[in-house]
Amino acid sequence: MAISTPLDKFARLAALKPACKVAPRDTTLRPTDDTDLVGRLLGAGVARNDFGEHLAIRNWYSTPEFCQPSESALDLLSRVTGPAASKAAHSAGRLFPHYRDESAALRTRAALENPEKWLFLDTETTGLSGGTGTYAFLVGLAWWDAGGLQVEQLFLRDFSEEISLLYELSLRIAERPVLITFNGKTFDWPLLQSRFTMTRKIAVPKLAAHLDLLHPARALWKLRLNSVRLVELERHVLNPDRLGWHREDDIASSQIPQFYFDYLRGGRPDPLTGVAKHNAMDLRGLAALYGKIDGLLDERENNLTGTSPLDLFGLSRFMNRRGEKHRAHSLCTRALDAGLTSTFRRQATTELAMMSKNRGDWAAAVSLWKELACNPRDGIAACEQLAMYYERRGKDCAQALEYANLGLAKAGQAKWLCREPFAAGRMEQWEQKFRRRLERLRNRMNLRKSAGRLPLPDSTRATGSPER
Amino acid sequence: MAESLAVRFAKPAPLDQERRSSTLARVNQVLDGFAARDHAGEMLTAVRHYPAREAQWAAFPEWIHKDLQAAYTRKGIRQLYSHQAAAAEAVHAGKNVVIVTPTASGKTLCYNLPVLDAILGDGDTRALYLFPTKALAQDQLAELHDLNQRLENRLGVFTYDGDTPSDARKAIREKSHIVLTNPDMLHTGILPHHTRWTRLFENLKYIVLDELHTYRGVFGSHLCNVLRRLQRIAKFYGSTPQFICCSATIANPGELASKLIENDVEVLVANGAPAAEKTFVFYNPPVVNRALGIRRSYINESSRVAQEFLKHDLQTMVFANSRLHTELMLTYLQQANPQIPGKPETIRGYRGGYLPTERREIERGLRDGKIRGVVTTSAMELGIDVGSLDAVVMAGYPGTIAATWQRAGRAGRRSGSSCAVLVASSAPLDQFIVRHPDYFFGNTPEHAFIQPDNFEVLINHLKCAAFELPIGPTEQFGEVDVRDLCARLAEAGYLHLAGENYHWTHESYPADTISLRSVTSDNFIIIDITGKPLVIGEVDFVSALTTVHEKAIYIHGGQQYHVEHLDFKERKAYVKQVDVDYYTDAIRYTQVRVLEIANTERRGPERVSQEYGQECPSMFRTSLRHWRSHGDVLVRSQVVGFKKIKFLTNENIGAGQLEMPENEMHTTSYWITLERALLESLPYSISERQSGMFGLLYALESVATFLLMCDGRDLGTAIGERPPAPGAETEELTPMRMEEAIGANAKEFFEPNLYLFDAYPGGIGFSEPLFRAHELLVEKTRELIQACPCEAGCPSCVGPAGDLAPKAKEAALAILDRLCG
Repeated sequence: MAISTPLDKFARLAALKPACKVAPRDTTLRPTDDTDLVGRLLGAGVARNDFGEHLAIRNWYSTPEFCQPSESALDLLSRVTGPAASKAAHSAGRLFPHYRDESAALRTRAALENPEKWLFLDTETTGLSGGTGTYAFLVGLAWWDAGGLQVEQLFLRDFSEEISLLYELSLRIAERPVLITFNGKTFDWPLLQSRFTMTRKIAVPKLAAHLDLLHPARALWKLRLNSVRLVELERHVLNPDRLGWHREDDIASSQIPQFYFDYLRGGRPDPLTGVAKHNAMDLRGLAALYGKIDGLLDERENNLTGTSPLDLFGLSRFMNRRGEKHRAHSLCTRALDAGLTSTFRRQATTELAMMSKNRGDWAAAVSLWKELACNPRDGIAACEQLAMYYERRGKDCAQALEYANLGLAKAGQAKWLCREPFAAGRMEQWEQKFRRRLERLRNRMNLRKSAGRLPLPDSTRATGSPER
Repeated sequence: MAESLAVRFAKPAPLDQERRSSTLARVNQVLDGFAARDHAGEMLTAVRHYPAREAQWAAFPEWIHKDLQAAYTRKGIRQLYSHQAAAAEAVHAGKNVVIVTPTASGKTLCYNLPVLDAILGDGDTRALYLFPTKALAQDQLAELHDLNQRLENRLGVFTYDGDTPSDARKAIREKSHIVLTNPDMLHTGILPHHTRWTRLFENLKYIVLDELHTYRGVFGSHLCNVLRRLQRIAKFYGSTPQFICCSATIANPGELASKLIENDVEVLVANGAPAAEKTFVFYNPPVVNRALGIRRSYINESSRVAQEFLKHDLQTMVFANSRLHTELMLTYLQQANPQIPGKPETIRGYRGGYLPTERREIERGLRDGKIRGVVTTSAMELGIDVGSLDAVVMAGYPGTIAATWQRAGRAGRRSGSSCAVLVASSAPLDQFIVRHPDYFFGNTPEHAFIQPDNFEVLINHLKCAAFELPIGPTEQFGEVDVRDLCARLAEAGYLHLAGENYHWTHESYPADTISLRSVTSDNFIIIDITGKPLVIGEVDFVSALTTVHEKAIYIHGGQQYHVEHLDFKERKAYVKQVDVDYYTDAIRYTQVRVLEIANTERRGPERVSQEYGQECPSMFRTSLRHWRSHGDVLVRSQVVGFKKIKFLTNENIGAGQLEMPENEMHTTSYWITLERALLESLPYSISERQSGMFGLLYALESVATFLLMCDGRDLGTAIGERPPAPGAETEELTPMRMEEAIGANAKEFFEPNLYLFDAYPGGIGFSEPLFRAHELLVEKTRELIQACPCEAGCPSCVGPAGDLAPKAKEAALAILDRLCG
């Protein structure tokens, strides 16, 4: 994305200013007392502020190594996706694109510019249901430092320490107002916002940007892994041997609330060391995941050798949704060349055909559709596309008729084969569409016969909006 | 409502006057027709005429925002009814108020006026409107939108319920001045997420509770606790909201309101709205079998009555008490009034389950007169605007006097003459009402009661409260020791004491596990396995035992299902569709043990033997006395079998045995103890006496449900020997046998206790009111049985004759004579 608009300049200037003027403060920790069993076990120190005290655990890790974010990755990650984005892509070149989304994206992009302002965050909570009765008893923070990762974990020895912990957190966020999380947009951050609100003393800290890696991860790896939990990603996407940690004796996250409740009620605090370790690994995994995603999205790095074909396809879809049509097209081609299993091959071919169509590469699109239409179990949509193509572009009514007939037959067959009522309903709709099309085509052919050499109209205005 | 207000000031056009006189004539024609058929003089038990009443006007208060007054003026409202002005003044003065008004008296204006005024004065003001159903909220939304448009859309007015799209929710939370919702949404969706509603809670000034009388019994007890939580959250955000409540006519609106909001309430009962001329008729279907007390089907009779009105071109609304009956009567009336080809159908059905667009279309059709008749359930009872109708026919007593008046209020909302007919079924309550018209037309005796401190209810809401905000050391929550309860919850692992506050320490989301409409959340899923398995509904645990036991006929949506299998452990009932002419009635064997007597009193006259006069030694005094008591009891019940009962005739056509698990419940009860001397003074055999007691209890239950405005299922009954002392060991609960339960006269009672207990764990507050109303209860029960024309008992008084000994009715009356003294 070329950086040139005035709006963008303002956003960049805003991001350069410190988000909040923070006086240099004393962040030294007091060693824990001998009686503080949990503090000793966790290797924590006691942090103190005006609102009381809580525990803090600090560690520096050499892995993952600092990853200098690439321009193109940041561009892509800050871009808005979804229907708004595709619309925005459509209206590219028009005078006023979707101003609000665009400006939000630009602000995010500008804030992301400086990795020193990044704060990785992951919380451990007393439940997953959300709402005002769920507490974050361990707030894990991490930031790039000295080429590695500095991790600081804030821990509640009891609920009475919550305000002090939240105050510390608000200061940390003021120093580094760009939040990087995994599923934090829907879980961690709303939960923390709720906790801040409930103090009635500490305002909810303002974020300059919030990047949730769950969304790109889902787009990139959902196809291959089904589950995109962080642990799965570590195992199958990152290189487990090179991570620098391993999860052999990791606890199950479902046990975490109970461990904490047991500790609160006077049980042994030992399992909490596992929780803290788990949280630290999640933070490091999160930072490592950023590096991986950055590498994939970086446009300078064309070296995607060794990337699995499915990941290439995922990447292509990711690019496509963010309006990077060109890269999406070439990635999709590469994925198909590298070989996909039949289901994904069909999907990829369908998408590639649509991309070719949108680029105006009709020859390529037609050959892909024909390939799809050959498939005896599928290809209904491809038949429609072909019928449309021959009717309007190819000016070959006979061919259009042939493909419409083929589509109708396929839909009819699928209707009888499928057992699910909804799918049958969909097939019914397909059949109706094809019938209408056939009727129109026949009428037109009859008209042409009767009127001698009356030319066909350029496009069928009767159908209204362009069909896709 | 909007429409009725709009036309209020229009001069009656000559045409309209003509129409009015002609409706009067036609209504009279129909009534004369009924009277002509009533040879024995038994059918029309009451015909009451209510003359038209003039409106009492008052000016808009001075302080009302000019724009708001202008908006109302543009709607056609230039002055207020006196009660509307009084309500606005009371709210403006900062009081909590409850406004008691009949249907169609402009009650929404009573709360909209002061609330909108406050919002226009200060744009930060927020208000929360609570309606018992989603449909009512939608209806009020339409009314408020209309006003808002006249105010240039300065207000944010939104409904927030389960149907609200999630992408709209955030905007609603921020921008809405008035949030229209229901108690269930408040309980599960708003309070546990109060941090998202900061704007609302910081500025919450008004809470409107419409249809207050619906918040009674279990629902009311829950709502009271939800309001406790709401007020707690409001306090946290620094606001103290004021309550505006609206209620239909019940005996104790002020008591109910102040118990719900736990604060003082000003009661406004005066009504300044005009009323049209109206005739109210009680119609008792003719008796076809006097011995068995069987009358002609009230469904057919209702259709017939409605058809009379329709024939005279009077727009008619028919109310049924179930969906099945709606469909039956609809079919009948549509056959009698076939659709004219090319014209829309003139008779329509309207009930829950119809699509919103269809409903709107019917409402419109009723307003512009294209639809001549509509058959409906309670769906149309509460404030939905359909304009005025000429006649209302009620098939069966709606259950409460308040609801009956609301349904009757559907006729004659505007000018003109109208008629309401109540067609009685053979249920005891119906028969009691139509045979005692003075009772109905006199002062309303119906009381709404709640018991917010029911342990089960309270403890669950206390959990929710702790989830929402840690519980501090000085907090109040009902009339209980909060600290002690918290300590117990902490022991059970729900709470944890940190510093001085109790915090929620459980993974669950407590509001999800509590339904406001029942005491326990344990329920059974009903699965239709006729074709592909399909979940068709659910029943709560207590009713499941009696409604979905194996071989039961379960009726859902007018369709009968046979229960094939009850999976007790998995809480599932598997049913198959059937079409049979009977229903099943579970035989429940119930034993009650008194745990603690809260209050007891010996009553009745002491008869002194003639020989001795006043100096009679106590040993020769014959005491025909009884006791009234209430207190805590342990109820052990078991469904041991079931009866098959034929539709319409209520004949017993078979029975079956069941083995169901026992159910123990700690609850509260009211009971009457009959002393031995009283029993022995009865000139009947032992089995007749026993039967008499069961018959008496049957009738007592009917009258009690009527006095308490509760459902028949809310009360349980049992007879047991009076224990020597409460909780004594000798009083053992014996194993149960079906024969005993059916016969109910296997053993003789010497000093029986007749129990009427709350059918919910912990009790929901019926016992103490029943204890207080003892005399009234006994007296009304005597009236009910006395007035019943059957010979030896029927379903309308002491129960079907076949189930009881021959002289049961006599014996029951004899006992009642002695109880009344």
